[in-house]
Amino acid sequence: MTDGRSDANPVGMKKAALLLVTLTAALAAGCVQIQAPDKPIEINLNVNIKQEVVLSLKKDAADLVTNNPELFPQ
Amino acid sequence: MMYDRKPLVLAAIAALALGVAGAALAQSGGAVAAALANGSVGEQSDGYLGFRGSPSEGLKAEVEAINIKRRAAYTQLAAQRGVTVKDVAATVGCETLQTRVQAGRAYLLPDGVWRTKGADPITLPAYCGN
Repeated sequence: MTDGRSDANPVGMKKAALLLVTLTAALAAGCVQIQAPDKPIEINLNVNIKQEVVLSLKKDAADLVTNNPELFPQ
Repeated sequence: MMYDRKPLVLAAIAALALGVAGAALAQSGGAVAAALANGSVGEQSDGYLGFRGSPSEGLKAEVEAINIKRRAAYTQLAAQRGVTVKDVAATVGCETLQTRVQAGRAYLLPDGVWRTKGADPITLPAYCGN
């Protein structure tokens, strides 16, 4: 009986340990790790053109190029 | 003797004619076309032509004349559409990089690096859209 009990306990502990490992792994995977960049953040101020403005002008720009071939030599 | 010289004279005349034609072409903006072809001048993403390396005085003047005319056209369109000249120029830059720059020609992206176009399309700046 005592042998049986001492055998049963390690099995339960093993199960608990396995559960803990699984839980820890799940937690770690779900974590978003934020790391400070080692380089300074550079913001290029030359690129402050808005995409929607560009898109609205796209057809006009294409027309300008095709209508002024002397300004756009190839 | 006369018969032997005839082809030589003809060749000389042909060479002279070609030279004159070449000079005339250079005068009418051919220098820019030649510079575009050899990659010393290229389209920039800002909508203007630029130099890859240091240009000769004549070439510099021609390219600058084109850029002044471009700016005038951009200014006019910007006024019509109520946007900045820079917006128009950048949009034209997207257009020229996408459709006008041929393989083997030089182009400049906002990162300031001159590249030579290969077989693949140019990777346009993000603001150009797709």
